[in-house]
Amino acid sequence: MVDLNDIAKSLVDMDISRTEELTRTAIDAGTPATEILDKGLVAAMQVIGERFEKGEIFLPELLMSGEAARAALNLIRPQLIAQQDTESFGGKAAIGTVQGDVHDIGKNILVMMLEANGWEVTDLGVDVSPEDFCNAVRENDFQVLGLSALLTVTMPAQEQTIQALNTAGLRDKIKVAIGGAPVTQSFADQIGADFYAADAAEAVRKFKASIS
Amino acid sequence: MGTMTGAERMFTTLHLKEPDRVPVYEGPNRNIRETVLGPGSTAHDAIEHFDLDGVGMDDRSTPVWRGENLDASGLFFKNQWGTINRVTSESLPHPVEGAIKSEKDLDTWQPPDPDDPRRYQFLKEIVKRYKGQRAIIASFQDPFNVANEVRGASNHYMDFVRNPELVDRLSGLIRDYYLRYITNCIEIGADIIHITGDYATTKWPMLSREHFVRHVIPVLKSLVDHARNLGVYATKHTDGNIMPIIDLIIDAGIQGLHPIDPVAGMDLGVVKKQYGDCICLMGNVNCAYTLTWGTIEEVGGEVKRCIQQAAPGGGYILMSSNSIHSAVKPENYVEMIRACREYGQYPISV
Repeated sequence: MVDLNDIAKSLVDMDISRTEELTRTAIDAGTPATEILDKGLVAAMQVIGERFEKGEIFLPELLMSGEAARAALNLIRPQLIAQQDTESFGGKAAIGTVQGDVHDIGKNILVMMLEANGWEVTDLGVDVSPEDFCNAVRENDFQVLGLSALLTVTMPAQEQTIQALNTAGLRDKIKVAIGGAPVTQSFADQIGADFYAADAAEAVRKFKASIS
Repeated sequence: MGTMTGAERMFTTLHLKEPDRVPVYEGPNRNIRETVLGPGSTAHDAIEHFDLDGVGMDDRSTPVWRGENLDASGLFFKNQWGTINRVTSESLPHPVEGAIKSEKDLDTWQPPDPDDPRRYQFLKEIVKRYKGQRAIIASFQDPFNVANEVRGASNHYMDFVRNPELVDRLSGLIRDYYLRYITNCIEIGADIIHITGDYATTKWPMLSREHFVRHVIPVLKSLVDHARNLGVYATKHTDGNIMPIIDLIIDAGIQGLHPIDPVAGMDLGVVKKQYGDCICLMGNVNCAYTLTWGTIEEVGGEVKRCIQQAAPGGGYILMSSNSIHSAVKPENYVEMIRACREYGQYPISV
């Protein structure tokens, strides 16, 4: 029987191969996928997120831990889907960089962190128009929509996207989060976003809080 | 009109002495230039009109850096490093796919030729036109940031943990290109080498202090030492909150630091107090908000604040907090220059 704390430790230690090995052993031993997810992966990613928010670890460590979590998730996902245990998932979200902006590293890190925390995430890519954001929201049951803008000149597209959701009658269907280097809480308040996050770790906390 | 040439003003400032007035050399973007000077106006027209104290060129603005288009639209191209880039609304494109996907790729990867004469055509032009009157600034990206693009940012960051030898090998190749590039720029007539590329996000540095010490700062220092040994000035740009590593950056030997990012909470007055006796400060005029959405009065106030905080005693070059990007209002750029001339006369009395 695998101690799930060992999976969590190997993930915090950024040991991708050991995380995979322990996860496989746990699956083979009959450990439910939901337990591996909650007590092994999500627990570890919460520690990682806290350390990143405090400045104890940085992007290399965050990404390596995320890769370890992603590797383990790939092993347990079939069982989670088969069980259709939607409570196992953190939530459903879509993330995209707004129209006119092609920066993606912040978005990619957020997608990785959310997935590692058990979320089902659709990466909408970059340079996403308000219309395409609306179509994605209309056609899916996302709970949170994340809008990333890394340039001052593209921040207005975050507002335009929220306005488009309003016009399309979709605004009440979803929580909207905004982020990016020049973005601030006051800008989020000004344009009617539900919340703003300064980095991926804070975003994961707020995504979770927004649907609970 | 001052008593010094723009070049003298810049050099005096970089020597941490008081010139006749606070220098400013950041040129307008094309939209601002054509709004103020009319369609068809050139960069040279803007330099003369605004009487800028320096003239800059960036390695990435040369045709040879850009390389071949990958589609008929010209939206995507492969640059000199083999990185696929996408054209954006700003003057500089954005990398979308790296050239080095595995360590094996590095065995056959070739850095570009730093001696390609096409690389230096604009530099030769501005040296011929302005040398001695305005400072000549040659800008290029920090090898850390080039490596991010060449390797892909996520892979490059993870390499610091899983394969630090690959980090050093790649940055070494890029560094060697820039050592030769610096030599060529100086031989042509560059006065200042300006190394761009961010080390931090708005919250804090991208890497741990240990990773900077081991892998990034030594490369920066080698470029700075090379430039200074050849008799020119070396300055560094990095956005973000660099306070946890600012001492490392300064100890690499740079003589100027840009932009003291206000969006990341960097305080120009605090940095001046702590490091103003050893380094020239550049920037801090907020281009994320003030220059973009502020009123002319707010811009004037921002310039006045920057001069008050950093100019007394010398050692301050007025610049934006990142760049004169496409959303900066023309009237705000004009006011930035005007206010610098009004408030920046030495001895500073604002």
